[in-house]
Amino acid sequence: MHTYEVFLKKDGQEEYRHAGSIDAPDDELALLLARENYLRRAEGDLLWMVDRAHLLIGDRDFVAPNSDKPHRDNDGRLVAAHRKSQREAQ
Amino acid sequence: MGRTWSSMEDFEAFLDDGGMVEVDDDMPDEYRTAVFRFIELHANSELMGGLTERDWIPMTPGLRHKMAVLAKTQDEIGHGHLLYMVAADLGVKTRREMLEDLFAGRSRFHNVFHYPARTWGDQVAICLLVDGAAVPSQKAVYKDCSYGPYKRILKRIIAEEGFHLRLGEERVLRIAEGTDAQRAMFQQSIDDWWWPALRLFGPDSRPDDRLARWRLKSEKNEVMRAGWVQKFVPMLHSYGFAIPDPGLTHDAETDTWTCGPIDWEPLKRTMAMDGPDTARRIAEASAAWENTRWVRDALDAAPAGAVA
Ligand SMILES: [Fe+2]
Ligand SMILES: [Fe+2]
Repeated sequence: MHTYEVFLKKDGQEEYRHAGSIDAPDDELALLLARENYLRRAEGDLLWMVDRAHLLIGDRDFVAPNSDKPHRDNDGRLVAAHRKSQREAQ
Repeated sequence: MGRTWSSMEDFEAFLDDGGMVEVDDDMPDEYRTAVFRFIELHANSELMGGLTERDWIPMTPGLRHKMAVLAKTQDEIGHGHLLYMVAADLGVKTRREMLEDLFAGRSRFHNVFHYPARTWGDQVAICLLVDGAAVPSQKAVYKDCSYGPYKRILKRIIAEEGFHLRLGEERVLRIAEGTDAQRAMFQQSIDDWWWPALRLFGPDSRPDDRLARWRLKSEKNEVMRAGWVQKFVPMLHSYGFAIPDPGLTHDAETDTWTCGPIDWEPLKRTMAMDGPDTARRIAEASAAWENTRWVRDALDAAPAGAVA
């Protein structure tokens, strides 16, 4: 038995979304079970499945260094303050 | 590896801030066990309910309604399927262990699935009153659920329960427009199912309810129960059916219906696996599991890719 992760996408919508998981003995039955468990009412037009054993996972610790990189953004605050002071001086 | 918390206080502070727990988080054992038990009970109930639906496929009157029962059966079994996946990922029991415990009578399922569905009227009452209790209960869990995988699966399930409830409302309309014999049959079904369905919400919530503190429930049982009474009393009255509750009262000023005293003894008996139809239901479910063993064995034995 393999555990598969199920991803659905609707036409015209941007990304595949994780819907859940399903157990199946092989790929063919996995697709069938996913269709009958996750797509009974056209919840998507496209279906991706991946054996959980083949998922490549970047965990929180791996991703974390990028959560604190303020130099990758500019909030425009300095220029806004400058413009505001100019308006008030007029 | 997911997140860790140094203490229960730490973890509860995270929950109080609206934090969502994911499957790879190192959640406290008490929380893991409580979430697992809750989802296992839900999964067992979906499966037991689905098996009763299945019994009624050949006996459902009319092709359109027969097809709707097929769809509802597939939904309920599907709900069980999805919930067992979410429960198994918590690592407390495998799916097979959960099923074997259920069929051996070692684990619980909701009270309403301990009663026999004897007539088509019973099926109509179940579709209205039981699915009509499932929807607000599941919505109350979904609303603020702290366990991410359960919340996401509930969204899917609730949408389908809405279909069941609308189906139930249509069935009631049709049976109300039926013959005197059909109306009498349905009145008997209301008499038999009103109280079991009402007890599905459970006794009044305790102020120290752990499930509420951990955001697995966001509504008190008594509030959901009152909402259910308020919805179904006027609906059934409007079709000329009676409610089997001599203590039922109506406040004309606020137009509010309130049920009389509730006897909790039958709920206790179903919790002790001693309901009117408990043994037969478990035996049927167990037989269905045994009769399909050859399929599982064949799949387990097949080399990868050989199943065509
Ligand atoms: Fe369901
Ligand atoms: Fe349902």
